[in-house]
Amino acid sequence: MAYLTQPDYVKYICSCGQLKPITSLYFCRHCLKIRCGFCICHEVDSHYCANCLENMPSSEARLKKNRCSSCFDCPSCFHTLSTRATMAQPRQTPQDPAGGDTKVESKQPKKMYYLSCFNCRWTSRDVGIPDQPVASGGWPERTNPFAARVNQLLDYYKAIALQEKQEKIERERKKFTIRGKYITLTDKTGLTGAMARNIAGLPSSDSSCSAIANFVPSQASAEVEELPEDYYTKEVNLNQITSMPQRLASPEWQPVSVSRLHPLAKLLSVKRSQRCRVCDHNLTKPEYNPGSIKFKIELLAYYHVPEVKIISHEPVKAGEKTALLLKLTNPTGHEMQIKLLQPEDLPPPEEKEEPKSIEKSLEKSLNLEKDTSSYKAIEREPQYSVTSRVTSPPTALTLAQRDDAAEYDDDAQHDTTE
Amino acid sequence: MELQDTYYNKSEYVETASGNKVSRQTVLCGSQNIVLHGKVIVQSDAIIRGDLANVKTGRFCIISKGSVIRPPFKKFSKGVAFFPLQMGDHVFVGENTVVNAAVVGSYVYIGKNVVIGRRCVLKDCCMIEDNSVLPAETVVPSFARYSGSPARLITTLPEATPDLMTEFTKSYYQHFLPTTVQ
Amino acid sequence: MSHNIKILPGATVCEDCTLEGDITIGGGTVIHPRVTIIAEGGPIIIAEYCIIEEYSTIIHKKSDQQENPPKPLFIGAHNVFEVGCKLESPCGHIGESNVFECRSYVGVDVKIGSGCVVGAACHLTAPQTLVDNTVIWGSEHHIREALEKQPSQLLQLDFLSKVMPNYHRLRKPNVHKRQSSTRQSQEPSPKP
Repeated sequence: MAYLTQPDYVKYICSCGQLKPITSLYFCRHCLKIRCGFCICHEVDSHYCANCLENMPSSEARLKKNRCSSCFDCPSCFHTLSTRATMAQPRQTPQDPAGGDTKVESKQPKKMYYLSCFNCRWTSRDVGIPDQPVASGGWPERTNPFAARVNQLLDYYKAIALQEKQEKIERERKKFTIRGKYITLTDKTGLTGAMARNIAGLPSSDSSCSAIANFVPSQASAEVEELPEDYYTKEVNLNQITSMPQRLASPEWQPVSVSRLHPLAKLLSVKRSQRCRVCDHNLTKPEYNPGSIKFKIELLAYYHVPEVKIISHEPVKAGEKTALLLKLTNPTGHEMQIKLLQPEDLPPPEEKEEPKSIEKSLEKSLNLEKDTSSYKAIEREPQYSVTSRVTSPPTALTLAQRDDAAEYDDDAQHDTTE
Repeated sequence: MELQDTYYNKSEYVETASGNKVSRQTVLCGSQNIVLHGKVIVQSDAIIRGDLANVKTGRFCIISKGSVIRPPFKKFSKGVAFFPLQMGDHVFVGENTVVNAAVVGSYVYIGKNVVIGRRCVLKDCCMIEDNSVLPAETVVPSFARYSGSPARLITTLPEATPDLMTEFTKSYYQHFLPTTVQ
Repeated sequence: MSHNIKILPGATVCEDCTLEGDITIGGGTVIHPRVTIIAEGGPIIIAEYCIIEEYSTIIHKKSDQQENPPKPLFIGAHNVFEVGCKLESPCGHIGESNVFECRSYVGVDVKIGSGCVVGAACHLTAPQTLVDNTVIWGSEHHIREALEKQPSQLLQLDFLSKVMPNYHRLRKPNVHKRQSSTRQSQEPSPKP
């Protein structure tokens, strides 16, 4: 955890030239290369709500605009809202027929629920949202005042995109068919494209055509509503006015007054898997369950690349020798040969040799076969400055494999150190 | 960087058979309701409120100086109930931190001067940075790193966090030595 | 000085806390262990049904322009001081049903109404007056006004006053109700 609480003292060179701590690096077992978050593919595995930890299928997530259906964020401070129960005495004269049905038992206080924020003490009662008889869901959904227009625009642009795509296909076809050699059915019979499509059983483009035809572009108007009389004279109560983040959190309504703030459905989180761009193998793949911290595939550099830690160092002085004590740990189950090189001896990225020169002769020979694969990942020279000369021990060091049994022995040092 | 040795006064700490090291300068209220599952370090001036409800920690937890571990309460129509507080293995609680959570998972790092609100649920593998405030009833998902007041997700943790946390708490325990050893 | 501590019947005060100066603790109030209350600049009066949690500090600070006799720091009923909060006030008046959340700090010259919430780790240092039902939260000290007062903690007090005697050594109430009310009003005034 020192990696998370301290600055990154030891950085490794990723195959893309980035300098990163070992914890944010991956090790592709198939390319035998170090990869980092910048040079791999990130894929969404599943959507889940970070609050209720419910999975949501991706199709449903798209329909719900990537928001949870049961959890809400506070519109005032964006903290998660909690559902609170109160005992409410139902009114003697229920206004709605649903209340009339329960008239017999209405003598007893009924449990009613409202949303409340424990951070800023905002409650759904503040803005007059009625309490709900059920604990989750059932909160009134507001419709965007411009929903119809937004949908119209969506349809319109979808239709245009479709049309352009078709035109492109058409053009491609025309390019490759030599005109005049064959008389097409449409040419001969004068059928329209739409009818030909019908005959061929292709989806009609009528809907898209109508969407384009019926579309009314919005008109700019010079007339703007007059400002209210007291606009400049009325005293502003800042407590009643929403802040910019509050307005931007609900772009459809952009409430000006705090009395118009409504709970925001919580945004979903994703579980993602990561893939090597070169060989398309998974580097990490989490388990489906949102609460699980386990991985089905977990090719991290931390488990494959020797870990370098600084034990102690002396302040560096010009023209003087200072000692730097390093601890190297072999996380793998195999013996490892390590040679410390000078920065200028670092092999250029074309040669497939890892920085810090981890030499695993067996795996190296395997690597040769993979060499011909096309490189989608770009490899760059790492950028770093060298301000001192390092005198390293000339001999190669041998690190014994990780001793799993050491963990059960409390007194022994569990890793090989040098 | 490798962890430095932390020395403590041998007379100040009590070491139990299961390897717990508990300072004498702590307030362990209702100690019969507190279960430390072994190799747990409780440093001076920490308060664990076992009198309110049961407090259970896993193995290799570190409860730093001046922190308060306090089971949370919830109001019901008929009264107040204090919930037991469960803590997983390999949890670090920084100095002067207040933990009112209902559940703290395993491999959780809580920085110093942090306030964890009532009935928060910290899932396995998460990190709360120093000086953060987690409002009541927050759920911190796995691999999340929260910071600020109110704390928000700022970034994710590396996939190797369970191993990093295990190594951290274990080496903390190994480097937590009595001064009289030399 | 410590003999001036008056604990009214029904109060639950742990022995493991520092009380210095002229302090009156109202009935039904619960004071958890490791609480520090120092009345160096004048008496502190804590009304009924307050909760003061671990590591909270309430100081009635000495100040130069102090009135003679010193005005008491009066803390109204149903206030909650959560873990590690700090209140320093030379002549403050704290209303009722306020919540001072964990590790909050209220400095001198802050007057607090009723039903206010000082959020966790919020520091109020500038002279100001919090009107009733003010809520302060977050690192940027956002302010908003709550619709209703903070709910009372009577149920929690009930639980605490039942459970705490089983686990803690408590200070015994030393004042009877009738006596205290007369002494409270008389004692500060004859002091030079």
